[in-house]
Amino acid sequence: MDLLEFARGPALQWAAYILVAGTIWRIVGIVLLEKKPDYSEPRKSGGYPAAIKVIWTRAFTAEPFAKATLYPKMMAYVMHIGLFAVIFLFTPHIVFFEGWTGFDWPGLPNSVIFFIGVATLVSGVALLVRRLTNPVLKLISNFDDYFSWFVTLLPVVTGLLIPVRALFRYEDLLAIHILSVALLLIWLPFGKLGHTFLVFVTRGTTGMVFERRGAKT
Amino acid sequence: MKNKPTVGEILQAKGVSRRGFLKYCATTASLLALPPAMIPRIAKAIESARRPSVIWLSFQECTGCTESLTRSAAPTVEGLIFDAISLDYHHTLQAASGDQAEAARHAAMEENEGGYLVLVDGSIPMGNPGFSTIAGISNYDMLMETVAGAAAVVSIGTCAAFGGIPGANPNPTGAVSVGDLVKDKPIINVPGCPPIPMVMTAVLTQFLTFGQLPEVDKYGRPLAFFGQTIHDRCYRRPFYEQGKFANTFDDEGAKAGWCLYKLGCKGPTTYNACATVKWNQGTSFPIESGHPCLGCSEPDFWDKGGFYEPLSTGNFGSGAKVAGAAAAGVALGAVAAVAGRRRQAKYTKEA
Amino acid sequence: MTTVDGRHTIDREAERIAYKPPEIRHDTQGDLSTEERVEHAMHHFVKNFNTQTASYLDGCLHCGMCADACHYHVRTDDPRYTPIWKIELFKQAYKREVGPFAFFYRLFGFKKKVTIKQLEEWQHLLYDSCTVCGRCSLVCPMGIDIAGMVSMARHGMFKAGLIPHELHETAKKAAETGSPLGVTAEKFEDRLEWMADEHDVEIPVDVEQADVLACMSSIEIQKYPESMAATARILNAAGESWTFRTDGFEATNFGMLSGNTEWQKEATLKLINAAVKIGAKTVVLPECGHAYMAMRWMGANMYGKPLPFKVLHISEYLADALNAGKIKVKKVDKSVTYHDPCQVSRRGGATKAARDVLKHLGVDHREMKYGGDYNWCCGGGGGVVTIKRADELRHRVFKLKMDQVEATEADELLSSCANCRQSFDDSQEHFGWKYKMGSLMEMVAENLEEDNS
Ligand code: SF4
Ligand code: SF4
Ligand code: SF4
Repeated sequence: MDLLEFARGPALQWAAYILVAGTIWRIVGIVLLEKKPDYSEPRKSGGYPAAIKVIWTRAFTAEPFAKATLYPKMMAYVMHIGLFAVIFLFTPHIVFFEGWTGFDWPGLPNSVIFFIGVATLVSGVALLVRRLTNPVLKLISNFDDYFSWFVTLLPVVTGLLIPVRALFRYEDLLAIHILSVALLLIWLPFGKLGHTFLVFVTRGTTGMVFERRGAKT
Repeated sequence: MKNKPTVGEILQAKGVSRRGFLKYCATTASLLALPPAMIPRIAKAIESARRPSVIWLSFQECTGCTESLTRSAAPTVEGLIFDAISLDYHHTLQAASGDQAEAARHAAMEENEGGYLVLVDGSIPMGNPGFSTIAGISNYDMLMETVAGAAAVVSIGTCAAFGGIPGANPNPTGAVSVGDLVKDKPIINVPGCPPIPMVMTAVLTQFLTFGQLPEVDKYGRPLAFFGQTIHDRCYRRPFYEQGKFANTFDDEGAKAGWCLYKLGCKGPTTYNACATVKWNQGTSFPIESGHPCLGCSEPDFWDKGGFYEPLSTGNFGSGAKVAGAAAAGVALGAVAAVAGRRRQAKYTKEA
Repeated sequence: MTTVDGRHTIDREAERIAYKPPEIRHDTQGDLSTEERVEHAMHHFVKNFNTQTASYLDGCLHCGMCADACHYHVRTDDPRYTPIWKIELFKQAYKREVGPFAFFYRLFGFKKKVTIKQLEEWQHLLYDSCTVCGRCSLVCPMGIDIAGMVSMARHGMFKAGLIPHELHETAKKAAETGSPLGVTAEKFEDRLEWMADEHDVEIPVDVEQADVLACMSSIEIQKYPESMAATARILNAAGESWTFRTDGFEATNFGMLSGNTEWQKEATLKLINAAVKIGAKTVVLPECGHAYMAMRWMGANMYGKPLPFKVLHISEYLADALNAGKIKVKKVDKSVTYHDPCQVSRRGGATKAARDVLKHLGVDHREMKYGGDYNWCCGGGGGVVTIKRADELRHRVFKLKMDQVEATEADELLSSCANCRQSFDDSQEHFGWKYKMGSLMEMVAENLEEDNS
């Protein structure tokens, strides 16, 4: 078995198993903790509609904070949208998902994806620089933050290098790319990248609790 | 080697013009990525070379490789080069058979001890010596006996180079490649199912010219021909970059000649010269005729997923295993929550 | 190179140039051993970990945006005032003890045990520099309610005997005498009588059966006694069957602010029991922000079941009464800006009530830029106003509020929280500021069209 086969076979499979198990582990571990009943008389109904509302609305910055958080927000938007585009709109990836789910959707030209990938990388680096220089971020950051940054951008870098053919042969880079994705999937449930699923829990919880009070969400 | 004519003499005798010969030398030089200044040297070397002795062994194979070499529409310089070498044993091509043939092999081996080339096509069955024999000799015995006095071994075709189709899962004969058995001789792999004729002769030419073997990649393939992928040199590459793909063999994209990636093209991971040297005297290559590259010059190409499955298709494992992972997650989560609550209770009791 | 010529010296302490972080002092209460303090802190940290807090503590991105919402960080640029950093110990305890991967955090020592040194250091962060205003909770892209967790972390700090003295003493006094300012039942009655005489208003006390139980905050009773009269005039004018009760009048809850859950519960139950005793249908809370949080949103949970009465902040009561035409007010020809008490508006959900009242008053209501739910806090919430050593910092952050108010150029500044009013008054004095904080309720009371027919 060569590296590519290993990457596409066992590596990806185990990454998927760990991803699924870890995600559910974390969610169940949180959900099965004590839940406090709230006996106060609700002002509004709250409930799941409120959860959905806040899951959506918190994707945007409230105007009073727009100026202060403009730069990191912009970078974060570029990075998230960029990641979305390169993951889901790159044809070889679509083919990958199609082989897995049976669904197929139109992609973007590879050259466009390449530039989006570069933009994603640039925003990621900008965010890292900010984390390394901003006093607040320097104080509150830990290993998780840096490692998560690394495993998120590694697939972007390896992916970008494939067409550049700078250092490696195509299939070696492809293998490294897939392995880096496997690393990302494995780490995702355990560190702060868990926000990919926890965001629904935290925003949703806040939505339900505060909407019930009729308070600002 | 006393009275043997030189290659040049033979070519002349066969009616190859000086011009045609030099053109062949130029092509070879460019294929081997040699500077044009080397052309005269190649020509001179070939002309004055004594016919080297070549023994061609065929084991578990389909004769496709031999076909590839010999089935050209018109006699080619490549073909004549083969005439020029002293093909002392090739049980498909030689007239002799049985004991006579074996005697010829032995004679060639003795006469050229240490200087002859062994070309092999086909894989060697290790499961049972009786699976494939020639004149009652098992393939393994014949190979080992023949290579003992050889200068070098050239594995022609994917079967000899990597095990090929006989070696594909579940490999009923226990087929192995030449390289799996021969460890003490230089081996050049010229894989392909079949290999491009020009590539085979170029390797021989280089051996004749410089008396040395070509530079090879990690799979023992001459870099001059296997240094780039089909995808690297594919004329459909611009469509790949633009994201224009044929989705079926008869859709608009297929008719427009768009990239065949989604139809399973293995071009991006296949190292071979098809896209540049092409087939049938430079007529075309598979992608040009609308079929994705199968990756035939790569090890285990039969076992690398379906021919029509796109390269990026990964394997996330079976649904049952994913479900198992999910169940494990639930269990771990529950255990974690219980443990967490326990610790909460423990602290509550202590304080 | 520039040289300092002696005539133009550089004032390095000037606010514009340098920020001098306050000297961190920490107080201790009780004679617990170091280990006991840590144990107690841990115990009361872990008690608070439930599905909601767990998701928050697991969800933080370390994006640091909350720092941009908190007045303490905005005014000082001191990274320690980053909201999420204030609950770092709480988070540390969670990850190590209760989180889904706690086992690994302990096994590999990813999160260390909380130490006494940390707890001492965090006293300043959890008390002096957080007013539990909840502004940070609104900026967080994950929607994490940091303010709520600051309150929870205080439970551990209190039990460890590691809170600022002044707050501890105030809370203790509240637990012992029923009022943070030592207002006993007799004193309350005295002062009610005084106000009834002074303003010639009837104030019912200790009525056996009434629909409405009114209550007060000690700050009002002691510092703004007019509030008592104003409350009475309004409830009388609305024709309510109402009363004050000497066995349940104190609406503030220093147990909650200091982090002592038992005291919080005691204070809350006292009010609830009084209301139940007289068969009240409504409890009207005074102009106090945290009282609203304590009773409106936490009361029933202290009680362990739904409350048998409605809970209204006075501004909500006024809005309802005015909307229903139960009381009427004369038009007031002034421009007014309204300061939202965090616990009533942003965190309590009653933002609209005060605006309704102002509309009825017909004033030229000038909303502050980013007022309402995004209002800057007065700087005195969460018990901070009682902490003497935090004054310098409190005044420093108050600048934000001053700018916000001044930009409206309104004639008058109103709020509906005696605690806000207290910290405004203090800062006003400190800065010699032109605005004097007034009371929304008092403005209504002064302009009642008293129906004499
Ligand atoms: S047809 Fe195959 S080799 Fe050609 S560009 Fe497409 S993927 Fe690459
Ligand atoms: S609640 Fe208010 S004071 Fe406390 S950290 Fe958040 S913004 Fe700052
Ligand atoms: S804004 Fe929210 S996610 Fe970001 S650091 Fe603060 S608490 Fe964490």
